[in-house]
Amino acid sequence: MNYIDNLQESIEKHYNKNAFFIDDTFFTYKDLAIEISKIRITINQTLNTSEKLIGLIANDDIKTYAAIIAFWLEGKAYVPINPEHPQDRNETILKSLETNYIFDSTEKASFHGFTLLFPSKTNNENIDIKANSIKENDLAYILFTSGSTGTPKGVPITYNNLNAFIKAINFDGEFKLNSSDRCLQMFELTFDFSVVSYIFPLLEGACIYTVPRHSIKYFYIYKLIKVHQLTVLSLVPSIIHYLRPYFEEIKAPQVRYCSFGGGVLYNDIIQDWNKCIPNSKTFNYYGPTENTIYSSYYKLNKENKTHNGVISIGRPLNEVTYIIIDKNNKEVPIGKSGELALSSNQLTPGYWKNEQKNKASFFFKEYNEESLRFYKTGDLCFRDSENDYIYLGRIDFQVKIRGFRIELSEVEFHAKSKCVKKVNMVAIDILNDLGNAELALAIESEVFDTSEILENMKEKMPDYMIPAHIKFIKELPYNSNGKIDRNQLRTYLK
Amino acid sequence: MTTEDIYEKIKPVFSKVLEHNNFELTESTNTNDVDGWGSLTHMIIIEEIEKVFNIKFKLLDLMTMENVGDLVNAIKSSTD
Repeated sequence: MNYIDNLQESIEKHYNKNAFFIDDTFFTYKDLAIEISKIRITINQTLNTSEKLIGLIANDDIKTYAAIIAFWLEGKAYVPINPEHPQDRNETILKSLETNYIFDSTEKASFHGFTLLFPSKTNNENIDIKANSIKENDLAYILFTSGSTGTPKGVPITYNNLNAFIKAINFDGEFKLNSSDRCLQMFELTFDFSVVSYIFPLLEGACIYTVPRHSIKYFYIYKLIKVHQLTVLSLVPSIIHYLRPYFEEIKAPQVRYCSFGGGVLYNDIIQDWNKCIPNSKTFNYYGPTENTIYSSYYKLNKENKTHNGVISIGRPLNEVTYIIIDKNNKEVPIGKSGELALSSNQLTPGYWKNEQKNKASFFFKEYNEESLRFYKTGDLCFRDSENDYIYLGRIDFQVKIRGFRIELSEVEFHAKSKCVKKVNMVAIDILNDLGNAELALAIESEVFDTSEILENMKEKMPDYMIPAHIKFIKELPYNSNGKIDRNQLRTYLK
Repeated sequence: MTTEDIYEKIKPVFSKVLEHNNFELTESTNTNDVDGWGSLTHMIIIEEIEKVFNIKFKLLDLMTMENVGDLVNAIKSSTD
């Protein structure tokens, strides 16, 4: 069985149940099936079978979610495009796909040379949600993340990858939804945690509650938890940092599952948060987008395994292999830190049209008498004597802001590109008073007007990549290797 | 405290936190209308307003706050 057949079965079985709550409106599984069917008509009328990729303007509405499933039933992949991101960036992504098609539920998108798709306007309410034959190596989605050369890099995920992921979570059995669950979906569709937030509820006939893009997310989420008695939460840690001053007012005993991911989770805050959700199983998930959403997790207890107050990322999912390696891709002993490399059926076939990056990030290695293909995560970790993994930080210049991966060099690239003054600039992540990471830009110069630099960055990059602070500094601090001392720089910027 | 008094006191809080004056605050103003008013700055604005008026908002007030009008009403009911 693959997940697409299971999706079809679940939708048919739960016609009268609510599938989505979006912008104060409920939609049933039958509503969803009708929308899917209309989009399939459009696809069949416009695209030939060899067209595999469709750009998807990521709106918060039922048609956009229906489009994802319609594309899958037709054996096609979605490539989410955030309409709030700069047009330039979105065009770069779309052009690299070599597709001619974009689906936009609002029918507003305008990209030169692309055909805009929207649901068929026929009054036909016939439902057709039977899947076409799908090849395992066909793609399910491509997500684009920040790339170090100033262009976003694409991570293609196949049906096979997604199947392997769903199978691993179900095999494990710790996280099992049912049709009476009410589940939070707080993520942008460009972020892969959105996939877990909609796919598991849909597979079980549960209801998904989305969070509007322009809301103050943490308050809106609390409102959903309270008013709609949500039972399943998938969160980035920053949400509970924001809610922390109000923990005493939060009582949500109905919550059954709470999953964290996309950033380090601190033990002290989680101890307090768990008092707000006393009946919940809580998990700390870890996983790069390249290995399809989650790769390992740690289940939280009264006493948790921590390192410097940060909770362990636990053990790999069934059929995921972790190794800790040195610079020569050799395994290091237990307890020694090194780069985490992983291998599994969840692993992407490779970055989209980026041979150079693929050569640097993937390698083959003998493991238990098998030649496995490994991905180098760029994360510095170690394995303890109980086989739990501990995350220590990045080995490169990638950071996470609000759960989004950012290459600092991409920020620096766009900061410098339109600046007439030839000065050194360093992008760096700093922690604000709430313990959330923010982006700062240090400029080695006398003070000057930075409005043009900021303007240019806003034209080229999404809002989470725009530095929240700009500081001028007479001399950047260097360490003995002649590299910029980022730790010292951080203390200057506090 | 009159509604006008409240508006007069909250405008400088917004300017200070957002580091610009490029906005009008009216009853219907929301986060979409003001540059830089987002998740983090909202939290700081709320904290600053609590200091200025010497009040403490309830989470219930904050979760239903959709615009400046709601904010002003919440301040009013806390100071009355």
